[in-house]
Amino acid sequence: MNRRDFLKILGAGTAATSSLAAPLARAERAPRVVIVGGGVGGATTAKYLKLYAPHVNVTIIEPKREYQRPYGSSEVITGQIELEDIVISYDDLKTRHGIEFVHDTVEAIDFEAKQVRTAGGQRLGYDRLVVSPGVSFDFEAIDGLTAELAETRLPHAWDAGDQLLVLKEQLESLPENPTVVIGPPPNPYRCPPGPYERAGLIAQWLLDRGDTQARVVILDPKNGFTTDYTMLHAWNDLYDFNIPEPARSKYSDEEWAQLTVHDNPGPIEWVMGDMGGRILSVDAETMTVEAEAGTFQADLINIIPPLKAGRIAIDQDLADDSGWCPVDQRTFESTRHADVHVIGDACIAGAMPKSGYAANSQAKVLAIQLKALLAGNDPVEPVFQNTCYALAGNTEVGMFVADVFRMDGDTIARVDEQRYLPFDATEAEYRLAALYQHNWMKAFTEDCFS
Amino acid sequence: MTRRLIRGATLALATGGAVAALPLHAETTTATDPRGLMAAQTCAGCHGTKGYIEDSAYVPLAGMPRERFITAMESFADGSRPSTLMGPLARAFTDEEIAAMADYFEAQPKERARAIDPASDQTTGQALDPEEN
Repeated sequence: MNRRDFLKILGAGTAATSSLAAPLARAERAPRVVIVGGGVGGATTAKYLKLYAPHVNVTIIEPKREYQRPYGSSEVITGQIELEDIVISYDDLKTRHGIEFVHDTVEAIDFEAKQVRTAGGQRLGYDRLVVSPGVSFDFEAIDGLTAELAETRLPHAWDAGDQLLVLKEQLESLPENPTVVIGPPPNPYRCPPGPYERAGLIAQWLLDRGDTQARVVILDPKNGFTTDYTMLHAWNDLYDFNIPEPARSKYSDEEWAQLTVHDNPGPIEWVMGDMGGRILSVDAETMTVEAEAGTFQADLINIIPPLKAGRIAIDQDLADDSGWCPVDQRTFESTRHADVHVIGDACIAGAMPKSGYAANSQAKVLAIQLKALLAGNDPVEPVFQNTCYALAGNTEVGMFVADVFRMDGDTIARVDEQRYLPFDATEAEYRLAALYQHNWMKAFTEDCFS
Repeated sequence: MTRRLIRGATLALATGGAVAALPLHAETTTATDPRGLMAAQTCAGCHGTKGYIEDSAYVPLAGMPRERFITAMESFADGSRPSTLMGPLARAFTDEEIAAMADYFEAQPKERARAIDPASDQTTGQALDPEEN
């Protein structure tokens, strides 16, 4: 019997005896929502829940004292911004919105007692628990890759932090006209346009340094990526990039005819999945990458390992065999444990990507649903949105994907049709997209954290 | 090879400007319509919490007159107002949602303090309480 059933029985009863006084008093106190993880999903849930239901006690459990945003962080590597520019304070959430913080790691969740235990020994009871743990990395999926090497020779730099600085230093130490290998992960993964934006940023950085013979080789297990239609076109124009033949189906015949075939192609090469782009192993000593297409000798290797849900979600039995967390996509309540909601990158959310904007959008829907559920009401029909901005490399050339999502039965589905810049977009439109990309970093951060 | 994208050119920032008033098909809703809140909160990831934003390329939506919001969304949707991504987004919302969003943003104060302080503005929370609608 859960607490709600108990209270129903209690309400139907005729007399409250003294033995019932204690649970009754508990039921009258403010509802408690505990949030595990102070990233985009956790912070946005906390802020919006306080906006929509100020009477709810909201506590975030997060080991870090300040947040580093992963979105837009590749620009740290190529020097458009500094590491300190991606650091975000929790002060506004604490002082302006009255959100409690416990700076500690979660040791265990007791789903029966509805209690979270931290490494520091605290026990936090909850009426509803939100788990927004982000991602973890499956280093074992690629032979030769380890968590230790990611901190030194083979940084993925896909979760902000000091690995960005390691990669930046490696980039700046590169010999003239180097070969850079970038290995995007298989689907699904955080920030779908991100690995390709990073490849563009590095190509631009090398060209700006005067390296006319550099190579930026993308070894990809996939045959496509979000924004590919725009990104490949922009590279074709900006970087004398030849779009591989297997990608032809992304364009109409008329569009394909307008693309340029370059006799002396520029730095970027995209080895698609169908061309043998899948990486099999890496050797940090010899700096070689073995892909299905063959061996690549590199001066810099940036492999983003396959991703799965954040460690807490996996350790606490919230993820299934896929490595991600199944949820009721209307309320984000875990299908494995009641009264626990999983949002953001870690959850399985139908057609929604694993992006900051998606986590933010899910968090606001969750805030509405939590308010309803805590009051004993039915959940509300959700509407979601996602926008991902990306740069082509040249930071004045931007692009985006923009989608709206609704429920289709039990699954979140995309409802829009056009989602990218059109093929015939003007230069001004590319530049506007870049302008909005730069403005979005501040606007979005404020919506989540201020 | 044209280098179309990196050739220096004047950036035309003004995508808006005067737009002709369009007939409004949407039904009238109240500012506490939960559909308005559900749809409107999806805008905040760019346009700011409750549509409040400053020093940004994004247009503030807080306090925008409802007719102006509806006209903008309808003209984005039919392409008569040029945009980057607002066209596809505007087309994905229903007339009823657009009207409810318009009511929601019109009801939001333009000032930052009131816009984001939960203690001084309860309209957002009320929209979610069926008994208070």
